[in-house]
Amino acid sequence: MTNPIFWVGVLTLAAIYASLAMALNVESGWGGMWDLGIAGLLAAGSYCYVILTADPDLGMRFAPGLSMWVAWPLSALFTGLVAFAIGAPALRLRREYFLITTLAFAEIIRQLVVIQADFTRGTLGIPNINRPFDSFVTGRDYNYVLLGIAVVAAAVMYLVTRQVGISPFGRTLRAARDNEAVALALGKRVNRMRIKTFILAGVLIGATAPVYLFYIRAISPQLFAPGITFTVWTALVIGGLGSIRGGLAGAFVLIVFTEAVGLIEVDPSHINILVAIEPFLVGLLLVLVLRFRPDGLFSERSAFGAGNRAAGRSAGDSRPAGAAQGSGG
Amino acid sequence: MELVLDTVRKTFGGVVAVDDVSAVMPQDRVTALIGPNGAGKTTLFNAITGFDPPDRGSISFGDQRIDGLPPWRVAELGLIRTFQTPVGFTTLTVRESLLAAATPHFAETPVGALGLSRKARDHERASGDRAEEITAELGMAELLDVRTDELSAGDRKLLEFARSLMAEPKMLLLDEPAAAVAPANIGRLSQLVRRLCDERGLGSLIIDHNLSFLMQIADEVHVLDRGALLASGPPAEIAANPDVMRVYLGEDGAEGEGA
Repeated sequence: MTNPIFWVGVLTLAAIYASLAMALNVESGWGGMWDLGIAGLLAAGSYCYVILTADPDLGMRFAPGLSMWVAWPLSALFTGLVAFAIGAPALRLRREYFLITTLAFAEIIRQLVVIQADFTRGTLGIPNINRPFDSFVTGRDYNYVLLGIAVVAAAVMYLVTRQVGISPFGRTLRAARDNEAVALALGKRVNRMRIKTFILAGVLIGATAPVYLFYIRAISPQLFAPGITFTVWTALVIGGLGSIRGGLAGAFVLIVFTEAVGLIEVDPSHINILVAIEPFLVGLLLVLVLRFRPDGLFSERSAFGAGNRAAGRSAGDSRPAGAAQGSGG
Repeated sequence: MELVLDTVRKTFGGVVAVDDVSAVMPQDRVTALIGPNGAGKTTLFNAITGFDPPDRGSISFGDQRIDGLPPWRVAELGLIRTFQTPVGFTTLTVRESLLAAATPHFAETPVGALGLSRKARDHERASGDRAEEITAELGMAELLDVRTDELSAGDRKLLEFARSLMAEPKMLLLDEPAAAVAPANIGRLSQLVRRLCDERGLGSLIIDHNLSFLMQIADEVHVLDRGALLASGPPAEIAANPDVMRVYLGEDGAEGEGA
């Protein structure tokens, strides 16, 4: 019904959101830190990359014109630094207070980008961002290269976050999320571990930022409105918060679904109705997933503790004995 | 080495929860802490383990002053506590909970997670073996792969105890370890507490309401009443103490609390 290039673009975007959702899962799913500042971290990484690689002719105050291969890791590290600056005060707060603080920091970053126009060109934005290999492959074919880059990035993100999840570090993170007091009583340095995790998520988001830029090609502050954060969250919740594959699966389901809705052929006079109905359909998808699979497409339960099925039975056996005793007092 | 409390005081508003308690608890003995509900036993635990620091007085373990230290630091020094309400790491399996308790700090960083070192792997394997040993001793080996939130209350209590053993304790602080535990398992529990003390010099400070359980395993008993230390001594002496009888049974016999 449409040309393949369209779907190549959709899959590229899905892979980018998948990377972001998997990075979010490390801090929010396993670390229990419900971060609403994804857009801010993505902005930090994106602007760092753009400033470091920008054409000096654009008249920005600081334009070292670095190679993209140097700027890419630097952007990841810089975003980690920003995450530390946000996390240090925000992680003193819990739950909804933490959540609202991260949202505020993300908006602050966006406003800083607007105000510091000498460095960022403010609302003017920066067009024609350089992309890797585009001197070799041009025109429409470049979309396949971009898809390749995004898929490789998502695959690397999957391997990295999976390793974190199944490692002793990931296990302690989930333990401290479930019960902070018990973790402390066992000598876990819960706060220090959380801030490291928050920085790690920042680095991972910063590493994804250049891929996002290759896809959108031009940068401006309004790209980093909170909407992007909520899309990443929706993808993760659909896929399964706390699972290993959830972010990956959720992003593809959500993005492909959203883009497919845009393809529904209607009479031109009804086009504005279709546009209005799109968020409604995305909401419906979310509600349906949560109704029939409350833990998401992949659950944390299925991702960890593989012996659950066999064990459920013996847990049942021991219950009467334990319950009969009551308390000694 | 000993755990020493010197005139420890803790108040909540106008209520004196712990009233100038001084006591010496040897690290290699089993010490029981008894008293009616509201006597300040758990408050004292919280004060010792850094969850709720005392207002006044000092607490030391060995030659280290520990009052005012954060809980994780107290735990690092080897004082490992359990909790009265055994919630635990709800979504982790018994095995995962035990392994998490044993994980060393060097494996608990993002970098450590990415390049899992040989040292960390060896440690993980040794911890796995130890988790199997401990659960076998407590008669819960078949529960290793059950999630904590699917365990019975009694099994969660045993898990609290097992978990504290995984954290390389120098002394255990057990808050009602026998409550809700099946009678057969209470036997195993007391044997294990006694044996850890006699064979490995790992002592405990135990709060419980099950006096027959405590009197069997304790070397020394401290009785708290309304925040203050009422009596201290060997179990036989405490059992015969008329003041203790009065506190436990109530002067008019109305408020029976002992088991």
